[in-house]
Amino acid sequence: MTEFIPTNLDDVKDAVEYAKTHRQHLEIVAGGTKQGLGRNMTFDGVINLSKMTGIVDYQPEELVMSVRAGTSMDDVQAALDNANQMLAFEPPNMSLALSRGGKSPGTIGGVMAANISGSRRLTAGAARDFLLGFEAISGRGENFKSGGKVVKNVTGYDLSKLMCGSFGTLAVMDEITLKTLPRPETSCSLIIATDDFSQAVATIASVFATPHEPGAAAILPRAIADKAGVGLNSNFVAVIRLEGILISVRDRVGHLQTKFGGEIVKHALSHPLWQSISAGNLCDDSPRDLWKLSCPPSDAAGIIEVISDRYDIEYFADWAGGLLWIGGNGHALGNDLRLAIDKCASGFVHLIRDVGATKDKIEPFQPLAPSIYALHQRVKAAFDPLAVLNFGRMHYGI
Amino acid sequence: MLMPEPDQRVIDRRHTIAATLKTIVPKRCVIDSVESMRAYDADGLSSYRQLPLAVVLPETVAQIAAVMKWCHANGIKIVPRGAGTSLSGGALPLADAVLLGLGKFNKILDIDYDNRCVVAQPGVTNLAVSEAVKADGYYYAPDPSSQIACSLGGNVAENSGGVHCLKYGLTTNNLLGIEMVTIEGEILRLGGKHLDAGDYDLMGVMTGSEGLLGVVTEVTLRILQKPATQRALLVGFDDVTAAGSAVGDVIAAGIIPAGMEMMDGLAINAAEDFANAGYPRSAAALLIIELDGPKIEVDALISRVETIVRDAGATSIKISQSDKERDLFWAGRKSAFPAVGRISPDYLCMDGTIPRRRLPDMMIRMASLSQKYGLRVANVFHAGDGNLHPLILFDANQPGELERAEDFGADILRSCVEMGGVLTGEHGVGVEKRDLMGIQFTEEDLKQQQRLKCAFDADHLLNPGKVFPHLHRCAELGRLHVHKGKMPHPDLPRF
Repeated sequence: MTEFIPTNLDDVKDAVEYAKTHRQHLEIVAGGTKQGLGRNMTFDGVINLSKMTGIVDYQPEELVMSVRAGTSMDDVQAALDNANQMLAFEPPNMSLALSRGGKSPGTIGGVMAANISGSRRLTAGAARDFLLGFEAISGRGENFKSGGKVVKNVTGYDLSKLMCGSFGTLAVMDEITLKTLPRPETSCSLIIATDDFSQAVATIASVFATPHEPGAAAILPRAIADKAGVGLNSNFVAVIRLEGILISVRDRVGHLQTKFGGEIVKHALSHPLWQSISAGNLCDDSPRDLWKLSCPPSDAAGIIEVISDRYDIEYFADWAGGLLWIGGNGHALGNDLRLAIDKCASGFVHLIRDVGATKDKIEPFQPLAPSIYALHQRVKAAFDPLAVLNFGRMHYGI
Repeated sequence: MLMPEPDQRVIDRRHTIAATLKTIVPKRCVIDSVESMRAYDADGLSSYRQLPLAVVLPETVAQIAAVMKWCHANGIKIVPRGAGTSLSGGALPLADAVLLGLGKFNKILDIDYDNRCVVAQPGVTNLAVSEAVKADGYYYAPDPSSQIACSLGGNVAENSGGVHCLKYGLTTNNLLGIEMVTIEGEILRLGGKHLDAGDYDLMGVMTGSEGLLGVVTEVTLRILQKPATQRALLVGFDDVTAAGSAVGDVIAAGIIPAGMEMMDGLAINAAEDFANAGYPRSAAALLIIELDGPKIEVDALISRVETIVRDAGATSIKISQSDKERDLFWAGRKSAFPAVGRISPDYLCMDGTIPRRRLPDMMIRMASLSQKYGLRVANVFHAGDGNLHPLILFDANQPGELERAEDFGADILRSCVEMGGVLTGEHGVGVEKRDLMGIQFTEEDLKQQQRLKCAFDADHLLNPGKVFPHLHRCAELGRLHVHKGKMPHPDLPRF
């Protein structure tokens, strides 16, 4: 097992060239917090990006930060805090949910490669919406860049979108440029009691049909709500977060309470609650597999109904019902979730945490339709024809 | 601008090809008489004109797929076209290519308030989406200036923005799903009413690909509740640098306005002559800053912004007290292009982006280029996101002036890249900026982009001659050099 610890893209290029020659498959790692995502693979070597760190340039007034891929999210967060700004997609700390031990928030490269976003994704966009540009070495061993360092740019193909969520299978990024935004002055969360899941989805839809600008919306079943300290003695609670300047947030929460009732969540409780919701980290009572399901919000209740009849599951929803975090065991659950998704207009199911050997029996990522799979293979070949980088991590042969 | 040499053998077969197309789609869907094809010989970049081989206006997705499959099998090129409003020549026809018009796909298919989205065909205009959901308080955020005419398929192809994209994003940030047809005639669905790709974000790559990767046949768009209140400030400065700093100060204060526009002296006066918007004629720079949201928030932020611009040296400040007054503030800005068209026989509109802090340098550079080329330039500017729209004034009837104006424009875009910016913020590369791509990108960068193209369209049949200055054959791009395989840094310990 060879471990390459590059300090710059020239070193990465050398490592890729070496692997090309010796027909090796290399794993790309920085913080290692997301190694549990995707298929179980063995590699011939590792490119460890943990020495490629540092904030290269940060211009808060331009809303632009350039940072090296191996930089810890703690360091990124500290710089943002200092300028009173944020990454609006609310990158969650996945360490706890992924059960990798420790509390490391991982690296910015890992967050972008996995396209991981938190609760504000619903209204502000995903990680992929905030990657303005990058510089990388492809699996061909060639240095290339895409995008730019300004917030508005349509020059050439938007390869940033492709890099986000490609799990290191196309290229190894070094410097990445992100769009930053001012942090809201304050936030306030409102909890509304509902009898069942579909009523919670409908309530949230009604909240989003007002001009009061909700920013995030989750649905917690009673047990989870109680444990998080936001229970209302109802079967479910809808949790709605509003952000902005103080007088605006107060005013909007007031309007919503007049219309929908509900209670305001204690401020001290609100922040950690949304951190846990963002990270899918509320289904952790017992060690179970954790599934992440994205679907149209109006389909979520039907999926839950079918699945909870047949399996012992723990679950909650984010993104107004469009994101389900489901804890439960066995690959049959995954199969049935995928069958349920097939009946929706669109969506996908990914296995996020495997506490047993579920991945031996089911693909962790949603299998692709044949035509889409063929296109994925051609895209992979366009960047990494010898399959040097994270080969097979997402899908067989990719 | 040189287009790829048309294939004479294809042109010679024009009548046979048109006849065959009439067997694939209903006869009424094929236009092949020279007179009728004239309507399609240019897009918004009207200094370039070219008759296509034939125009096909399909009526169903199956027909699109059949036409593309046949063209692919027979090596015939295709130029997709929406409403033809591109400012960069993205829909400029080619003499040896079928022009595939999506104009008949003009239906909104589904308005889904439960999931806050609209499903529409690609020929629906941008504004029609907002109109369709207006009564229920919703709208579609991207608002390119051509929104009454431009179509959604074109918006996806160009990743269109608009004056409000500072706060609400471009098309790519408001698009949930597409259906597309590949050059092989295969129908693919990417995304949908759910969020995120879960795999390679091919929809993200399709967005802004300028018709080179596939033809969009359906879109799913995110819709938002219309902000309760919109108010604007109209702020004059006697110095462009001060206006530029004011823009930075607003953002540094944590405020993201819905729109933040700047105009220079020449543009202010042209617009005022045209629209009587009450602009301060003596100002060197004018800002329009629009805030939107709940009334209490907008009122509070308006007064914060007022303080910021006053501290930055504003010489005049007006705050809209009604929607009518706000519309008037915008009337001048929105008529800036025709207004400039009135003071000059012709103009070229450029579209680079720079880091905002470089604005004063850019204004100095533009003044000196204006002297060098002996041509005037009026500036309108999406100031919030650094997107410049210099309008170069010229007279095409004067020999050599068009070329001089184009050289001037190229120098401006070179300066954008040199200052850390990019060639195009929202109009696209098309044919207009194709030959400048080498300024922003290395040969390796461009080759990697073209390899992606090869994954979608290995024979370069879709919209060739656009975006990329050199067309490399996919076989050549795919060649891989493997070095002898020495261990890098053999002296270093590995573990």
